[in-house]
Amino acid sequence: MAWRATVFLLGCLSMVARAAEPFGTDLNGRPIEQIAPAGAKAVVLFFATSDCPISNRYIPEIERLDREFAPQGVHFWWVYPDPGDTAAVVRRHDEDFQIHADQVLDTEQRLTRMAHATTTPEAAVFLSTAAGLHEVYRGRIDDRYLALGQERPAATRHDLELAIRAALDHRPAVKPGGPAVGCSIVPRNAP
Amino acid sequence: MRFLRCTALALVGCVFLSWLHPRRTMRAAQVPADPGATSHSAPPAVPAVTWSRQIAPLVYQNCATCHHPGGGGPFSLLTYQEAFRHGPQMAQVTQSRYMPPWLPAPGYGDFLGARRLSDEQIALIRRWVASGMPEGDASIAPPPPHYDATWQLGKPDLILTIEHPYALAAGGTDVFRNFVLPYPLTATHYIRAMQILPSAPQVVHHANVLIDRTASFRRRHPADWEDGIPGMELELDAGNTFDPDSHFLFWKPDTPVLEEPAGMPWRLDPGNDLILNMHLKPSGKPETIGAQIGLYFTPEPASKHPMLLELEDDRGLDIPAGDRSFQVQDELELPVDVDLFGIYPHAHYLGKELEGWAILPDGRKQWLIRIPDWDIDRQSVYRYRTPVFLPRGTVVHMHYVYDNSEDNVHNPNTPPIRVRAGNRSVDEMAHLWLQVLPVNTAKGSPDPRLLLEEAWMEHRAKRNPGDLIALYNLASALAGLGRYAEAAADYRQVLAANPRDARTLNSLGAALENAGDSSAAEKEFTQAIALGPDNCDAQFNLAELELKRSQFAQAAEQFRDLLRNCPADAGAQSGLGVALLGEGDSASAEAEFEHALDLDPANFTALYHLGEMAIESGSPERAVEFLQKASAQRPDDVDTRERLAMAYAQSGRQADALTQLRAAVQLSPGDANLHALLSQVLSAAGQLQQAIEEQNQALHFEPNDADGWNNLGVLEARLGHTAAARADFERALQLAPDHAQARANLARLPRQ
Repeated sequence: MAWRATVFLLGCLSMVARAAEPFGTDLNGRPIEQIAPAGAKAVVLFFATSDCPISNRYIPEIERLDREFAPQGVHFWWVYPDPGDTAAVVRRHDEDFQIHADQVLDTEQRLTRMAHATTTPEAAVFLSTAAGLHEVYRGRIDDRYLALGQERPAATRHDLELAIRAALDHRPAVKPGGPAVGCSIVPRNAP
Repeated sequence: MRFLRCTALALVGCVFLSWLHPRRTMRAAQVPADPGATSHSAPPAVPAVTWSRQIAPLVYQNCATCHHPGGGGPFSLLTYQEAFRHGPQMAQVTQSRYMPPWLPAPGYGDFLGARRLSDEQIALIRRWVASGMPEGDASIAPPPPHYDATWQLGKPDLILTIEHPYALAAGGTDVFRNFVLPYPLTATHYIRAMQILPSAPQVVHHANVLIDRTASFRRRHPADWEDGIPGMELELDAGNTFDPDSHFLFWKPDTPVLEEPAGMPWRLDPGNDLILNMHLKPSGKPETIGAQIGLYFTPEPASKHPMLLELEDDRGLDIPAGDRSFQVQDELELPVDVDLFGIYPHAHYLGKELEGWAILPDGRKQWLIRIPDWDIDRQSVYRYRTPVFLPRGTVVHMHYVYDNSEDNVHNPNTPPIRVRAGNRSVDEMAHLWLQVLPVNTAKGSPDPRLLLEEAWMEHRAKRNPGDLIALYNLASALAGLGRYAEAAADYRQVLAANPRDARTLNSLGAALENAGDSSAAEKEFTQAIALGPDNCDAQFNLAELELKRSQFAQAAEQFRDLLRNCPADAGAQSGLGVALLGEGDSASAEAEFEHALDLDPANFTALYHLGEMAIESGSPERAVEFLQKASAQRPDDVDTRERLAMAYAQSGRQADALTQLRAAVQLSPGDANLHALLSQVLSAAGQLQQAIEEQNQALHFEPNDADGWNNLGVLEARLGHTAAARADFERALQLAPDHAQARANLARLPRQ
């Protein structure tokens, strides 16, 4: 299948220079200027929406990956690209789902455009180098959902985890085995 | 007799399967644009699609029952802003027909609540999204529907609550859990509607409620029933009377209230349990799963008695790993005319195509349902908009196809393994349940549900000779139909396989007794009792046998012994009363009858005898009170109506007495005694001509009744029909030359 074709690490997606404007804001309204903390080897953006059921069902999986890879220098950000997900809404969501993570309100959808994300849930992996951030993976978390209504009892291929491991090992990342399934990110011309 | 039944309604299940059609992906950019909706092309050929004009009415009609705050859907779609946020998804999921959830193919059954959108509606949504999801003139948008998050029919008459809520993990596979809710009341009630209020409706995919008449599930799980028991399917013991579970108590988020058709409430008796089987889908956060069941009563018992039938082929399920088209089937010929009210297809995760149809006696094929793309997550009971008439001789068919390949995304086994029938989600099932109401039943013919039961169980037993439950149920149906010798033969077959089955020994005894062989029956009852101290049914039957033999002291002893084992058995308590009455101890008997009513206010035997005792002691008003209740329990019991008429007559309520006697005569038109009684009451009411007619009816059936001729003569004489009266008295004297009253009456007539 075409989806499984491997690509080489550096040729793959895009290289991102430091943003001229803040990436977004945190839940206190403070601008986020830097998403790759000092010493981070890789950055993972997890695109989420507070009321997307599939996005929410992935919360335990993202937390698992965060717990596993944070000690290896991988920094996870939860990115909320929908303008309806205000700080108050996300705080409430954090309480409901017991989320303790670094979060970005991507009100201007800069991170969304930078990662080329179109769906929640969807993840992007960036390698952090002196030259900037290199996107090495963007796509689904795993293959549990093949389409809406096509759900496996459990995932059999953990695409995001494979991509993170590849990035840490400096191996070529693989493309996701299928499309991200969930809720469309509505471009920022909302009413 | 005890009926053993294997599943009352299988329960809820599991999963789905819809990988047949490649779905479109979900991104907004992939929604095909509708050129007609873009504002850039020339003059628009069609008016713009807006939220306010077209989309809001469509959403409110088809989506909002789940997609409202607090509803079963994961988000609300009541406002423009909410719909805008999810617009691209709406286009995607309606285009793929993932939403609204509706599995049956169109044209294969006309179902209530069909949620299938038309192609035009789907195109409207697509055009709206492609054109940027404009709101339009907000002032013309309809007001959003209002949803009450609590009880939709007002406060229920009874609310049952899960005592120990269940902690659902944030992630993992789906969970199927059974919660037991004991019915706490001491009187029978009839349920016209039910609502389930889950504490977290968004994680409850669907739920089934089963009635456990004998609390068998709770007794099977004495230590942990209060915490809920995992499992997709249940097997329940239906108890000792033919009382087939007759209702689909299936709940899903878009139909929170289940209202039964007129005349078809369901029943809850003291000691029953409700079992709530819920399919739970982890949401990403830990949830506490509780639920309330609200019940709405009606004072009217059911006047129509539907029944659930099942086609199945679980035994045929042995699906090789990798087989993508494994087929099973079943068929059942209907022995009576029925109206089909609803249908419930059920398979687990490997099910692919589920079909049900009927071949009518004239050879025509009538589709009942067709699901081309099964998905257990979306399973449902489907109720027909108009019941489907299936005449006697119709053969109902089930045909299911399963996919056990790795291409089936719902396959719970990776890699696929051989799969057989079973209760776990990794097992499979092949069930098609039908709710039927027998119709066109001729007066005086046997209960048509027994004929259905016979046909169903005979079919099952033939297909699988090792199915002892089917054989037992077949025997019980035959016994119910009065075919005791056949019943006894089948019970003996069950006992050949399982000789120490006390229940079957007891049932065999009952069949033998009904066949007139009371000594053989006694032997079976005794053997059943010897197997354990808690065989109360066998003890009861043996005691009743002794009552029939007028062995009152033995019967009383047997009943007392029974009550030591089963102290809440109202039938035994009233039986003891009858035994004491037979021994001449009316005072003690009365106390036992009263005690029986404490245990069960609807105990017929106690009500009847207390009524009769009240008549004898000159308390007709008290008698009326008891006998009215007795007659409500058994409206077809002629004897009770006759006694009630007597009590009315003694209370001076002649009109009520006449009503009862007329009803009794309708039930038993050839009963000379009833006609004679009716004649007497008519006479007392001054309706002499009608009294004469009824007395003539009585004599038609018993022409040699000298008293009857004498009575007719008296009525004729009172109307001045001297010649007729004379002939009647003379007829009485012909039949009984020493009939003093007739002779005196004859002498009193004016001489011609």
